Amino acid sequence: MKTGWLAVATLLAAPVPLRGQDSGSAPVGVRVGITYAPGSRPSIAVLPVAAAALDSARTVLLRDLDYSDRFEVLTPPAGVAMRGGVPNYPALTALGTDLAVSVAAGGGPGEVDVQLHEVRTGTVRNHLSLQLPAGGEALRLAVHRVADEVVRWATGSPGIAATTLMFVSDGRLWRVAPDGAGLANVPAAGRPTLSPAWSPDGRAIAYTAFVPGGRPLVLQDLSSGSREVVPGTEYGVNITPEFSPDGRRLAYAHGDENGTDVYLYDVARRCCVTRLTVGRYYDNLSPTWSPDGQRLAFISSRAGSPQLYVMSADGSNQEALARFDFGSTGQSNGPAWSPDGQAIAFHREVAGVPQVFVVDLATRAVRQITGEGRNEDPSWAPDGRHLAFSSTRGGVRQLWIVDLDTGRMRPLAATAGGRLPAWSPHGNYFTEAR
Amino acid sequence: MMGRLWRAGPVAVLLAAACGKPPAPAATTPAAAPDLARAADSIAAARRDSLAAAARADSLARAERERVRADSVRMSVQQVSADTAPAAVAGGLAAADSAVLAAPIHFDYDRAEIRAADQAQLDRKLPVLAAHPRLEIRIGGNCDERGSTEYNLALGERRAASAKRYLVAHGVAATRVSIVSYGKEHPLDPGHDEEAWAKNRRDDFVVTRGAR
Repeated sequence: MKTGWLAVATLLAAPVPLRGQDSGSAPVGVRVGITYAPGSRPSIAVLPVAAAALDSARTVLLRDLDYSDRFEVLTPPAGVAMRGGVPNYPALTALGTDLAVSVAAGGGPGEVDVQLHEVRTGTVRNHLSLQLPAGGEALRLAVHRVADEVVRWATGSPGIAATTLMFVSDGRLWRVAPDGAGLANVPAAGRPTLSPAWSPDGRAIAYTAFVPGGRPLVLQDLSSGSREVVPGTEYGVNITPEFSPDGRRLAYAHGDENGTDVYLYDVARRCCVTRLTVGRYYDNLSPTWSPDGQRLAFISSRAGSPQLYVMSADGSNQEALARFDFGSTGQSNGPAWSPDGQAIAFHREVAGVPQVFVVDLATRAVRQITGEGRNEDPSWAPDGRHLAFSSTRGGVRQLWIVDLDTGRMRPLAATAGGRLPAWSPHGNYFTEAR
Repeated sequence: MMGRLWRAGPVAVLLAAACGKPPAPAATTPAAAPDLARAADSIAAARRDSLAAAARADSLARAERERVRADSVRMSVQQVSADTAPAAVAGGLAAADSAVLAAPIHFDYDRAEIRAADQAQLDRKLPVLAAHPRLEIRIGGNCDERGSTEYNLALGERRAASAKRYLVAHGVAATRVSIVSYGKEHPLDPGHDEEAWAKNRRDDFVVTRGAR
């Protein structure tokens, strides 16, 4: 569902504070952000629950719907919202409610019914029944899945509550849910362990491990914990892995005495390394796949400072992607191709401070997303509208999430020191395993 | 596979150099003293053979060490093992020589070129390396905290490679020098100002073998 956002199409030559958006100064020639027009999102009420046992589920659901950034979330009191145990549609309509979600005990033991009501017509639009786990992470994950389904009912595409963010803090790998719950260490090789990347099925990760005598790339199965070194990466420095959208290939950068270049490893056949770039005394790194697997964006310092380039997946047709002026445009790094294929997020230094940018691939227009603090290494949520990134905006470094459609930013709890976030696909291991 | 092929480069160069040693000047005096010339020829041939054999043995030993190192990298990912700064192999070197070898060099922001002042620093290492031909060193490339984590890993590799290239261009065998990048993960100075950053943009030098 499209929300009401107005693109500020003017080129800004001076700092202009925008609502829901950082107010830092923007370099000339960069389109800054979008402004939010409140009230244009559908409003959704999460109805009170009759059974106290369902209260924690309702709390999680409420937060998930809020964090989806697709609704105005309302919490009308029970006396107004309910009448005789059913939704009071006229009262809810009077409050400006478009949709309402009810969570109630179902027919069978332990069964819970979830319904999405269309308030103005007084009808139930969708419903599901499930066995709700008693508590803990299993309960939260079950409710996250319900929340994602409610978002799909209401908007046509699923939410991102049942996903996992992997990130690095204190040189180790961690996972956390997008609502900040479920923080846990992920045992991994090396110290530090850097640049985690998800396989598209969410069952494996690849990362760089600092081990004595090497900087290998490690493939790690998340359920068994088993690890293998990508052949050839026992030598030199091996960084920035990213799985192809079909999961069959791994793009990464290998550096040695002649510079750093982008390579492909055939994960499916466990063989065959192909070199895609040939630099000499400069670096090519950080490959990121287009969703159709046909192209790779990457960083190259061939023109003197690291900037954003794109090439075909066989290494041909290499060209600069985001416009830059030699000597004045700051270093650009950490590119991530959006799930819808239409944009690439990256960070670029503005007056020596990294900020998150998004370049639109159709127009090549570059939009600055952040302006406060140091903001680095954006990673897309599978919904294509949220980005996780590492930021010092709150005074300490931690992960933050921005919704590009509304400009809303929120810190991700429990991620102190967090950097290099990697947002899982839909239905990743940590949700499916339970 | 890929790594093996890359590693073959320096070894092949070494072999070519060993085989290319000019044979003794025997061929210039064949008429005057054929017996002597024949003897010189056979001595030269034997010398060539022994050099080639030594080079072969050397390259095999190096290949074996490379294989062992690669195996140890593969093994070490099975545990959670940190790459702390390697312990220097100290014994057998005079303190002054150790200090000269260990002296770091520094870099300009986002650059990997050796600065003029640091060339002298590298030049001082040359006689020590020449006097101890079995010494092997590892150069660690480091960056300040400002650039991105991942780009700094590539930049650190380039910084270490610059110093290696300089040493090799001045006569140090490439096989005696290994390089590694620390990116911005191992700052010497935890500060957040230019003074700290200047200290952290550096190559460290550690003796890894053959100090005795």
